[in-house]
Amino acid sequence: MSKKPDPAAVSTFADHEVIVPPNKLKKAVQRLKPGEKVAFDPVERAEAALAELAADFSVWMESECARLDAARNAVRASGITQGSKDVLFRAAHDIKGQAATFGYPMVAPVADSLCRLIEHTPDIARLPLRLIDQHVDAVRAIVHRNTRGDVGKYAAELAEKLRHVTDEFLMRENHDNPDTLESILSPSLAP
Amino acid sequence: MVRIDFNRLRFLVIDDNAHMRRILRTLLHGFGTREVYEAEDGAAGLEAFTHYSPDIVITDWAMPIFDGLELTQMIRQPGANNNPYVPIIMLTGHSEKKRVIASRDAGVTEFLAKPISAKALYQRVLNVVANPRPFIRTRSYFGPDRRRNTNPNYAGTERRKGGKAEVITQQPLLEKAGVTGQGR
Repeated sequence: MSKKPDPAAVSTFADHEVIVPPNKLKKAVQRLKPGEKVAFDPVERAEAALAELAADFSVWMESECARLDAARNAVRASGITQGSKDVLFRAAHDIKGQAATFGYPMVAPVADSLCRLIEHTPDIARLPLRLIDQHVDAVRAIVHRNTRGDVGKYAAELAEKLRHVTDEFLMRENHDNPDTLESILSPSLAP
Repeated sequence: MVRIDFNRLRFLVIDDNAHMRRILRTLLHGFGTREVYEAEDGAAGLEAFTHYSPDIVITDWAMPIFDGLELTQMIRQPGANNNPYVPIIMLTGHSEKKRVIASRDAGVTEFLAKPISAKALYQRVLNVVANPRPFIRTRSYFGPDRRRNTNPNYAGTERRKGGKAEVITQQPLLEKAGVTGQGR
Protein backbone atom coordinates (compact mmCIF):
# COMPACT_ATOMS: atom_id res chain seq x y z
CA MET A 1 0.00 0.00 0.00
CA SER A 2 1.49 3.36 -1.03
CA LYS A 3 2.05 5.97 1.62
CA LYS A 4 0.02 9.14 1.16
CA PRO A 5 1.97 12.41 1.21
CA ASP A 6 1.73 14.46 4.39
CA PRO A 7 -1.11 16.96 4.12
CA ALA A 8 -0.43 20.62 4.64
CA ALA A 9 -1.44 22.01 8.04
CA VAL A 10 -3.98 24.76 7.44
CA SER A 11 -5.05 27.38 9.98
CA THR A 12 -8.07 29.31 8.82
CA PHE A 13 -8.69 32.90 9.86
CA ALA A 14 -11.37 35.39 8.89
CA ASP A 15 -9.76 36.56 5.67
CA HIS A 16 -6.75 34.34 5.16
CA GLU A 17 -5.30 30.92 5.66
CA VAL A 18 -1.86 30.09 7.01
CA ILE A 19 -0.60 26.91 5.42
CA VAL A 20 2.40 24.95 6.61
CA PRO A 21 3.21 22.62 3.73
CA PRO A 22 4.94 19.31 4.29
CA ASN A 23 8.66 20.04 4.39
CA LYS A 24 9.93 17.96 1.50
CA LEU A 25 13.38 19.50 1.67
CA LYS A 26 14.30 18.60 5.22
CA LYS A 27 15.90 15.48 3.77
CA ALA A 28 18.70 17.76 2.56
CA VAL A 29 19.35 19.53 5.87
CA GLN A 30 22.37 18.28 7.79
CA ARG A 31 22.93 19.64 11.27
CA LEU A 32 26.62 19.52 12.08
CA LYS A 33 27.88 18.79 15.56
CA PRO A 34 30.25 21.31 17.12
CA GLY A 35 33.70 20.79 15.66
CA GLU A 36 32.49 18.39 13.00
CA LYS A 37 34.50 18.76 9.81
CA VAL A 38 32.94 18.89 6.37
CA ALA A 39 34.39 17.21 3.32
CA PHE A 40 34.45 20.39 1.22
CA ASP A 41 33.27 23.99 1.13
CA PRO A 42 30.46 24.02 -1.46
CA VAL A 43 30.92 27.69 -2.28
CA GLU A 44 34.66 27.31 -2.85
CA ARG A 45 34.11 24.24 -4.99
CA ALA A 46 31.46 26.01 -7.08
CA GLU A 47 33.76 28.99 -7.56
CA ALA A 48 36.54 26.67 -8.68
CA ALA A 49 34.18 25.01 -11.14
CA LEU A 50 33.15 28.41 -12.49
CA ALA A 51 36.79 29.42 -12.83
CA GLU A 52 37.32 26.42 -15.10
CA LEU A 53 34.67 27.85 -17.41
CA ALA A 54 36.35 31.24 -17.53
CA ALA A 55 38.46 30.39 -20.56
CA ASP A 56 35.25 30.49 -22.59
CA PHE A 57 33.95 33.79 -21.24
CA SER A 58 35.55 36.06 -23.84
CA VAL A 59 33.98 33.97 -26.61
CA TRP A 60 30.63 34.06 -24.83
CA MET A 61 30.86 37.83 -24.44
CA GLU A 62 31.61 38.18 -28.14
CA SER A 63 28.55 36.11 -29.00
CA GLU A 64 26.36 38.21 -26.70
CA CYS A 65 27.70 41.33 -28.43
CA ALA A 66 26.95 39.82 -31.84
CA ARG A 67 23.41 39.05 -30.66
CA LEU A 68 22.94 42.63 -29.52
CA ASP A 69 24.34 43.93 -32.82
CA ALA A 70 21.98 41.67 -34.78
CA ALA A 71 19.01 42.87 -32.75
CA ARG A 72 20.02 46.48 -33.41
CA ASN A 73 20.41 45.77 -37.13
CA ALA A 74 16.95 44.16 -37.24
CA VAL A 75 15.48 47.28 -35.68
CA ARG A 76 17.24 49.49 -38.19
CA ALA A 77 16.24 47.32 -41.15
CA SER A 78 12.57 46.87 -40.35
CA GLY A 79 11.77 49.60 -37.88
CA ILE A 80 10.83 49.13 -34.27
CA THR A 81 8.03 46.71 -33.59
CA GLN A 82 7.03 45.19 -30.29
CA GLY A 83 8.80 41.99 -31.34
CA SER A 84 12.07 43.60 -32.43
CA LYS A 85 12.04 45.82 -29.35
CA ASP A 86 11.66 42.78 -27.08
CA VAL A 87 14.54 40.98 -28.79
CA LEU A 88 16.76 44.05 -28.44
CA PHE A 89 15.79 44.45 -24.78
CA ARG A 90 16.53 40.83 -23.91
CA ALA A 91 19.93 41.02 -25.62
CA ALA A 92 20.82 44.17 -23.66
CA HIS A 93 19.36 42.77 -20.46
CA ASP A 94 21.40 39.57 -20.70
CA ILE A 95 24.58 41.59 -21.16
CA LYS A 96 23.68 43.75 -18.18
CA GLY A 97 23.32 40.65 -16.02
CA GLN A 98 26.24 38.62 -17.34
CA ALA A 99 28.98 41.09 -18.22
CA ALA A 100 30.51 41.15 -14.75
CA THR A 101 30.49 37.35 -14.53
CA PHE A 102 32.28 37.20 -17.88
CA GLY A 103 34.95 39.63 -16.71
CA TYR A 104 33.55 42.75 -18.37
CA PRO A 105 31.99 44.68 -15.48
CA MET A 106 32.39 48.02 -17.23
CA VAL A 107 29.98 46.97 -19.97
CA ALA A 108 27.07 46.47 -17.56
CA PRO A 109 26.24 50.16 -16.91
CA VAL A 110 25.97 50.84 -20.65
CA ALA A 111 23.72 47.82 -21.16
CA ASP A 112 21.67 48.94 -18.16
CA SER A 113 21.23 52.38 -19.70
CA LEU A 114 20.03 50.80 -22.95
CA CYS A 115 17.55 48.63 -21.02
CA ARG A 116 16.19 51.73 -19.29
CA LEU A 117 15.85 53.54 -22.60
CA ILE A 118 13.88 50.67 -24.13
CA GLU A 119 11.79 49.88 -21.07
CA HIS A 120 10.77 53.40 -20.09
CA THR A 121 10.09 54.98 -23.48
CA PRO A 122 6.29 54.97 -23.48
CA ASP A 123 5.82 55.16 -27.26
CA ILE A 124 8.10 52.70 -29.03
CA ALA A 125 7.79 54.70 -32.25
CA ARG A 126 9.70 57.47 -30.48
CA LEU A 127 12.64 55.28 -29.45
CA PRO A 128 15.69 57.20 -30.72
CA LEU A 129 17.60 54.92 -33.09
CA ARG A 130 20.72 57.03 -32.89
CA LEU A 131 20.87 56.70 -29.13
CA ILE A 132 20.29 52.95 -29.43
CA ASP A 133 23.18 52.80 -31.90
CA GLN A 134 25.41 54.72 -29.54
CA HIS A 135 24.71 52.28 -26.72
CA VAL A 136 25.31 49.20 -28.87
CA ASP A 137 28.51 50.66 -30.31
CA ALA A 138 29.70 51.59 -26.83
CA VAL A 139 29.13 48.02 -25.56
CA ARG A 140 31.10 46.62 -28.48
CA ALA A 141 33.89 49.16 -28.11
CA ILE A 142 34.35 48.51 -24.38
CA VAL A 143 34.39 44.75 -24.93
CA HIS A 144 37.00 45.06 -27.66
CA ARG A 145 39.19 47.35 -25.54
CA ASN A 146 38.72 45.34 -22.35
CA THR A 147 42.36 44.35 -22.02
CA ARG A 148 43.69 47.87 -22.50
CA GLY A 149 44.82 49.68 -19.41
CA ASP A 150 42.79 52.80 -20.06
CA VAL A 151 39.48 51.03 -20.64
CA GLY A 152 38.15 51.79 -17.15
CA LYS A 153 38.22 55.55 -17.54
CA TYR A 154 37.04 55.36 -21.12
CA ALA A 155 34.14 53.05 -20.25
CA ALA A 156 33.07 55.07 -17.22
CA GLU A 157 32.96 58.28 -19.24
CA LEU A 158 30.98 56.62 -22.01
CA ALA A 159 28.51 55.06 -19.59
CA GLU A 160 28.00 58.28 -17.68
CA LYS A 161 27.38 60.29 -20.84
CA LEU A 162 24.96 57.75 -22.29
CA ARG A 163 23.09 57.46 -18.99
CA HIS A 164 22.81 61.25 -18.77
CA VAL A 165 21.45 61.63 -22.32
CA THR A 166 19.10 58.69 -21.80
CA ASP A 167 17.73 60.03 -18.52
CA GLU A 168 17.11 63.46 -20.05
CA PHE A 169 15.25 61.84 -22.94
CA LEU A 170 13.19 59.64 -20.58
CA MET A 171 12.27 62.56 -18.34
CA ARG A 172 11.00 64.48 -21.36
CA GLU A 173 9.05 61.50 -22.67
CA ASN A 174 7.50 60.77 -19.27
CA HIS A 175 6.99 64.31 -17.99
CA ASP A 176 3.24 63.68 -17.60
CA ASN A 177 3.66 60.30 -15.91
CA PRO A 178 4.90 60.76 -12.33
CA ASP A 179 4.85 57.06 -11.49
CA THR A 180 7.20 56.21 -14.34
CA LEU A 181 9.37 59.21 -13.52
CA GLU A 182 9.72 58.01 -9.93
CA SER A 183 10.63 54.55 -11.17
CA ILE A 184 13.22 55.97 -13.54
CA LEU A 185 14.83 58.13 -10.90
CA SER A 186 14.80 55.61 -8.05
CA PRO A 187 18.14 53.92 -7.46
CA SER A 188 18.76 50.33 -8.37
CA LEU A 189 18.82 47.87 -5.48
CA ALA A 190 21.79 46.01 -6.91
CA PRO A 191 25.25 47.37 -7.75
CA MET B 1 25.49 24.79 12.10
CA VAL B 2 23.43 23.71 9.14
CA ARG B 3 24.79 22.28 5.94
CA ILE B 4 22.85 21.42 2.81
CA ASP B 5 23.25 18.04 1.16
CA PHE B 6 22.84 19.21 -2.43
CA ASN B 7 23.05 15.66 -3.64
CA ARG B 8 19.51 15.19 -2.34
CA LEU B 9 18.06 18.16 -4.21
CA ARG B 10 16.67 18.29 -7.72
CA PHE B 11 16.83 21.67 -9.49
CA LEU B 12 15.03 23.12 -12.48
CA VAL B 13 16.81 26.05 -14.14
CA ILE B 14 14.75 28.17 -16.53
CA ASP B 15 16.60 30.80 -18.52
CA ASP B 16 16.50 31.65 -22.22
CA ASN B 17 20.23 32.33 -22.21
CA ALA B 18 22.32 29.22 -22.75
CA HIS B 19 25.39 30.81 -21.15
CA MET B 20 23.51 31.55 -17.94
CA ARG B 21 22.10 28.03 -17.84
CA ARG B 22 25.62 26.66 -18.18
CA ILE B 23 26.86 28.90 -15.36
CA LEU B 24 24.01 27.85 -13.09
CA ARG B 25 24.51 24.18 -13.87
CA THR B 26 28.22 24.55 -13.14
CA LEU B 27 27.60 26.24 -9.80
CA LEU B 28 24.95 23.72 -8.74
CA HIS B 29 27.15 20.78 -9.69
CA GLY B 30 29.94 22.49 -7.75
CA PHE B 31 27.69 22.60 -4.68
CA GLY B 32 27.19 18.87 -5.07
CA THR B 33 23.90 18.58 -6.94
CA ARG B 34 23.56 15.84 -9.50
CA GLU B 35 20.11 16.48 -10.86
CA VAL B 36 19.82 19.78 -12.73
CA TYR B 37 17.16 20.08 -15.41
CA GLU B 38 16.98 22.98 -17.83
CA ALA B 39 14.34 24.82 -19.84
CA GLU B 40 14.78 27.79 -22.14
CA ASP B 41 11.50 29.64 -21.73
CA GLY B 42 8.53 29.87 -19.42
CA ALA B 43 6.37 27.44 -21.37
CA ALA B 44 9.07 24.76 -21.52
CA GLY B 45 9.80 25.52 -17.88
CA LEU B 46 6.23 24.80 -16.83
CA GLU B 47 6.27 21.55 -18.75
CA ALA B 48 9.58 20.55 -17.18
CA PHE B 49 8.25 21.50 -13.75
CA THR B 50 5.35 19.10 -14.20
CA HIS B 51 7.53 16.37 -15.64
CA TYR B 52 10.52 16.43 -13.30
CA SER B 53 8.92 17.60 -10.03
CA PRO B 54 11.98 19.61 -8.97
CA ASP B 55 12.66 20.48 -5.35
CA ILE B 56 13.72 24.03 -6.23
CA VAL B 57 13.05 26.21 -9.30
CA ILE B 58 15.51 28.89 -10.38
CA THR B 59 14.04 31.13 -13.05
CA ASP B 60 15.02 34.18 -15.04
CA TRP B 61 12.47 36.98 -15.39
CA ALA B 62 12.84 38.23 -18.98
CA MET B 63 12.08 35.33 -21.31
CA PRO B 64 10.03 34.76 -24.48
CA ILE B 65 6.63 32.99 -24.58
CA PHE B 66 5.86 33.81 -20.98
CA ASP B 67 8.24 35.25 -18.47
CA GLY B 68 9.44 34.19 -15.05
CA LEU B 69 6.79 36.22 -13.26
CA GLU B 70 3.98 34.60 -15.24
CA LEU B 71 5.57 31.21 -14.68
CA THR B 72 5.59 31.83 -10.93
CA GLN B 73 1.92 32.80 -11.00
CA MET B 74 1.10 29.60 -12.88
CA ILE B 75 3.00 27.42 -10.43
CA ARG B 76 1.38 29.17 -7.45
CA GLN B 77 -2.09 27.98 -8.30
CA PRO B 78 -3.38 25.47 -5.78
CA GLY B 79 -4.68 22.43 -7.59
CA ALA B 80 -3.01 23.27 -10.87
CA ASN B 81 0.02 21.07 -10.18
CA ASN B 82 1.30 18.70 -7.54
CA ASN B 83 3.63 21.18 -5.80
CA PRO B 84 2.40 24.78 -5.67
CA TYR B 85 4.66 25.24 -2.62
CA VAL B 86 7.91 24.66 -4.49
CA PRO B 87 10.60 27.25 -3.62
CA ILE B 88 11.13 29.63 -6.54
CA ILE B 89 14.30 31.69 -6.78
CA MET B 90 14.01 34.60 -9.20
CA LEU B 91 17.45 35.22 -10.72
CA THR B 92 17.29 38.35 -12.82
CA GLY B 93 19.05 41.39 -14.16
CA HIS B 94 16.06 43.43 -12.99
CA SER B 95 16.90 45.09 -9.72
CA GLU B 96 14.45 47.96 -9.38
CA LYS B 97 12.31 48.16 -6.25
CA LYS B 98 9.06 47.75 -8.16
CA ARG B 99 10.39 44.54 -9.72
CA VAL B 100 11.33 43.06 -6.36
CA ILE B 101 7.88 43.87 -4.99
CA ALA B 102 6.16 42.47 -8.08
CA SER B 103 8.08 39.22 -7.80
CA ARG B 104 7.29 38.96 -4.10
CA ASP B 105 3.60 39.54 -4.80
CA ALA B 106 3.63 36.86 -7.50
CA GLY B 107 4.83 34.32 -4.95
CA VAL B 108 8.58 34.24 -5.51
CA THR B 109 10.42 32.78 -2.51
CA GLU B 110 13.82 34.42 -2.99
CA PHE B 111 15.11 37.17 -5.25
CA LEU B 112 18.66 37.17 -6.57
CA ALA B 113 19.95 40.03 -8.68
CA LYS B 114 22.57 39.34 -11.35
CA PRO B 115 25.52 39.28 -11.57
CA ILE B 116 25.39 35.90 -9.94
CA SER B 117 27.93 34.64 -7.45
CA ALA B 118 28.38 31.22 -5.87
CA LYS B 119 27.98 32.63 -2.39
CA ALA B 120 24.74 34.50 -3.09
CA LEU B 121 23.18 31.50 -4.83
CA TYR B 122 24.23 29.22 -1.99
CA GLN B 123 22.69 31.56 0.57
CA ARG B 124 19.36 31.64 -1.27
CA VAL B 125 19.23 27.86 -1.51
CA LEU B 126 20.26 27.50 2.13
CA ASN B 127 17.46 29.81 3.16
CA VAL B 128 14.69 28.06 1.24
CA VAL B 129 15.84 24.65 2.46
CA ALA B 130 16.69 25.40 6.09
CA ASN B 131 14.14 28.16 6.80
CA PRO B 132 10.95 27.35 4.91
CA ARG B 133 8.18 29.91 5.41
CA PRO B 134 4.50 29.11 5.76
CA PHE B 135 2.21 29.92 2.88
CA ILE B 136 -0.56 32.46 2.99
CA ARG B 137 -3.76 32.24 1.00
CA THR B 138 -6.01 35.28 0.68
CA ARG B 139 -8.51 36.26 -1.99
CA SER B 140 -5.72 37.91 -3.97
CA TYR B 141 -2.54 36.08 -2.96
CA PHE B 142 -1.18 32.59 -2.62
CA GLY B 143 2.47 32.20 -1.83
CA PRO B 144 5.17 32.30 0.85
CA ASP B 145 4.43 34.55 3.81
CA ARG B 146 5.50 38.01 2.70
CA ARG B 147 6.01 39.17 6.29
CA ARG B 148 9.59 38.46 7.17
CA ASN B 149 9.75 40.46 10.36
CA THR B 150 7.69 42.47 12.81
CA ASN B 151 7.93 46.21 12.35
CA PRO B 152 7.75 47.80 15.82
CA ASN B 153 7.09 51.20 14.24
CA TYR B 154 4.06 50.05 12.24
CA ALA B 155 1.19 52.27 13.33
CA GLY B 156 -1.64 51.06 11.09
CA THR B 157 -4.30 48.50 11.78
CA GLU B 158 -3.60 44.78 11.49
CA ARG B 159 -4.52 43.92 7.92
CA ARG B 160 -4.93 40.23 8.56
CA LYS B 161 -8.25 39.64 10.24
CA GLY B 162 -9.20 36.92 12.66
CA GLY B 163 -6.04 36.20 14.53
CA LYS B 164 -2.65 37.39 15.60
CA ALA B 165 -0.14 37.43 12.78
CA GLU B 166 2.56 34.83 13.16
CA VAL B 167 5.85 36.00 11.73
CA ILE B 168 8.98 34.02 11.06
CA THR B 169 11.70 36.64 11.10
CA GLN B 170 13.86 36.80 8.02
CA GLN B 171 15.75 39.49 6.15
CA PRO B 172 13.32 41.41 3.93
CA LEU B 173 13.46 40.57 0.23
CA LEU B 174 14.13 44.17 -0.67
CA GLU B 175 17.25 44.25 1.48
CA LYS B 176 18.44 40.91 0.21
CA ALA B 177 17.94 41.91 -3.41
CA GLY B 178 20.92 44.21 -3.20
CA VAL B 179 23.24 41.46 -2.09
CA THR B 180 24.76 39.81 -5.11
CA GLY B 181 27.64 38.24 -3.27
CA GLN B 182 30.36 40.13 -5.11
CA GLY B 183 33.65 40.28 -3.32
CA ARG B 184 32.90 37.58 -0.80
